[in-house]
Amino acid sequence: MEFLLSMWGFFQANILTKPAFFVGFIVFLGYILLRKPLYEAFAGFIKATVGYLILNIAAGGLVVTFRPILAALKDRFNLEAAVIDPYFGQAAAQAAIENVGRSFSMMMQVLLVAFAFNLVLVIFRKITKVRTVFITGHIMVQQSATALWMVIFCFPALQDTGIVWMLGLLLGTYWAVSSNLTVEATQDLTDGGGFAIGHQQMFGVWLTSKIAPKIGNMGGKKSKTLDEIQLPGFLSIFSDNVVATGTLMLLFFGIIMSILGPDLMATIDTKYTVGNSFFFYVLEKSLTFSVYLAILQLGVRMFVSELTESFQGISSRLLPGSMPAVDCAATYGFGNPNAVTVGFLFGALGQFIAILGLVVFKSPVLIITGFVPVFFDNATFAVFANKRGGLRAAVIITFCAGIIQVLGGAFAASFFQTAQFGGWHGNFDWATVWPVIGVLMKNLQYVGVGIAIIALLAIPQLQYFKNKAHYFQIAEDYDAYKEAVGKE
Amino acid sequence: MLRVIAACGNGMGSSQIIKMKIEKVFKKLNIAVKIEHTSVGIAKNQAPSYDVVFCSDSFVSTFDAAAARGTIIIGLKNLLSEQEIEEKIVKQIVNK
Repeated sequence: MEFLLSMWGFFQANILTKPAFFVGFIVFLGYILLRKPLYEAFAGFIKATVGYLILNIAAGGLVVTFRPILAALKDRFNLEAAVIDPYFGQAAAQAAIENVGRSFSMMMQVLLVAFAFNLVLVIFRKITKVRTVFITGHIMVQQSATALWMVIFCFPALQDTGIVWMLGLLLGTYWAVSSNLTVEATQDLTDGGGFAIGHQQMFGVWLTSKIAPKIGNMGGKKSKTLDEIQLPGFLSIFSDNVVATGTLMLLFFGIIMSILGPDLMATIDTKYTVGNSFFFYVLEKSLTFSVYLAILQLGVRMFVSELTESFQGISSRLLPGSMPAVDCAATYGFGNPNAVTVGFLFGALGQFIAILGLVVFKSPVLIITGFVPVFFDNATFAVFANKRGGLRAAVIITFCAGIIQVLGGAFAASFFQTAQFGGWHGNFDWATVWPVIGVLMKNLQYVGVGIAIIALLAIPQLQYFKNKAHYFQIAEDYDAYKEAVGKE
Repeated sequence: MLRVIAACGNGMGSSQIIKMKIEKVFKKLNIAVKIEHTSVGIAKNQAPSYDVVFCSDSFVSTFDAAAARGTIIIGLKNLLSEQEIEEKIVKQIVNK
C-alpha cells in the first residue's frame, strides 16, 4: 500500500502536475489503447511533449514582449491593454494561473473531462437532444485554458479536483450545446455536408442565421449578393495569416509605442536605448509578437494533431451516428470566396471604431485587434449571412460583431483581470456568453455554475420542441429530411 | 511517394481535418503519401516543392504561382466529404 501511495505521489508530482509530460503521457496511453506499436507510442510521446514545451516558450515570449508596453501604458495613462485573440488569451490565462501558484496542468484534465462529458451527452441523446461531438483540438486547449482561469478567479479556495470536475462538466456542456445549436444552419449552408461548427462563435452563427434573412429583406428590397461585387486585389494578402497578424500588430503597437514615445520606452524597456533608431525598434518589437504567435501555433499544432486524431477516432467508433463539430473554416468552401474578405474587412472596421470609442470614453482597458477573432469569426458570419440575407446582411452583421468582440473583450479582460497579462480570448462567444457565465459564477458561486449548466442544457430541449418531427433526421439523413420537408 | 500539403487559414483546424480525410482516401486508393498540414501563408512558399496541395476552394487562387510550376492544386468544397476528395484525386492525380 505504502509503495502504491508513493508511486501515486511520484506520478502526481512529476507527470500529472507537469502539463508537458501529462500531454505526452495521454498521447502515449492513447496509442497503446489503440493497439499501435510501442515505438509509435514513443514517437507520439516525444512529439506531444516537445510541442507543449515549444508552446510554453512562445506563451512566455508573448507575455514578456508585452510587459514593457503594458508597464509604459500604466505609467503614462494608467491604462491596461489586452490583445483579443485566443492565443494571447491562452498565454495570458496561463500566466494568470501560474501567477497565483496553481498548476496549468489542470487545463488538460479539464479538457479530458469536458470531452468525455460531451460524449456522455450524445450517448444519451434521446434525453439530452445533443447531436454533436466537439473535436476541434486546438480550440479545446484554448478554451480550457481561459475557462480554467475564470474558475480559479471565481473560486480561489477550491481544490484542484473540484475545479477539474466542475469546469469539466460546464465546459463539456458548452461544447455539446453550442455546437448542436449550429446543426440546422450548417446543414442548410452546406446542403447536408454532415458537420456542425465546433469553434468559438457558435452562438453568433445561430444569431446570424436568425437575423440575416430579416436584414436581407429590410425595407422590402432584396439585398445584392456577394457574387455581384468585385473586391480590390490587394486585399488578398490578408488571407496569409503571417502577413495579417504582422500588419495588425505593426498598426496597433506602432501607434501605441509612438504615442508612448522613445524616452519613456527607453526607461522601461532595456532592449531600447535613446539614440538608436526608434522606428526600427518599433518595427522589430511589433513583429516579435507575430514571431511568438507563429511559434505558439507550431507547438499547439504538434501536440494537438495527436489529440484531434484520437478524439475523432473515439467519437466515430463509440458514436457512429453522431455529428462531428469542426473548425468554422470548414464552411468557407460553401460561401462566395469574397465572403471571407468582406467579413474580415467589416469586422475590422467595427472593431477599430469600437476601439476608438474605448479611447474617447476613457475606458480603463485598451483593446488591440487580434487576428483570429476578427478574421475567423467574421468570415464565418459573412458566409452564413450572405447565404441567408445577401451582402447587406454580411456587412451589417460582421460590423456589429466587430463592435461586440471589442466591448465584450474589454469588459472580460478587465473583470477577469487578464489585462495584467495582456490578453483575452475575444471571439464572439467569449465576448458574450462566457463573460455572462463568469459574472454568474463570481456573484452566485456554485448556484451560478448550476444556473449556467441548466440554462445551457435547456437550449437543445427548446430546439427539439420546435422541430420534433425532423430534429434528428436533419443531422443524420439530410436528403431524406429535404424530401420530407418538400412533401409537407 | 507523393508529397502532399494540406493548408487552411491558420494551419490548425481545417487543414488537420483535410489531412485526416485525404489520408484515408489515399489509403483506400493504395497511393503512398506523406502529408503535412500548415497555414496557407506558409504553404504558399512551400508549395512548389510539394506534388499536391489540398485547400478550401476559397484559397485555390493563392497557389497560382505553384500551379504554374507544376504543383497540383486541389480545392475542396466540403473538407469532410470523402466522396468529393476521392473524385478529385482520381480526376486530378490518377487520370492526369
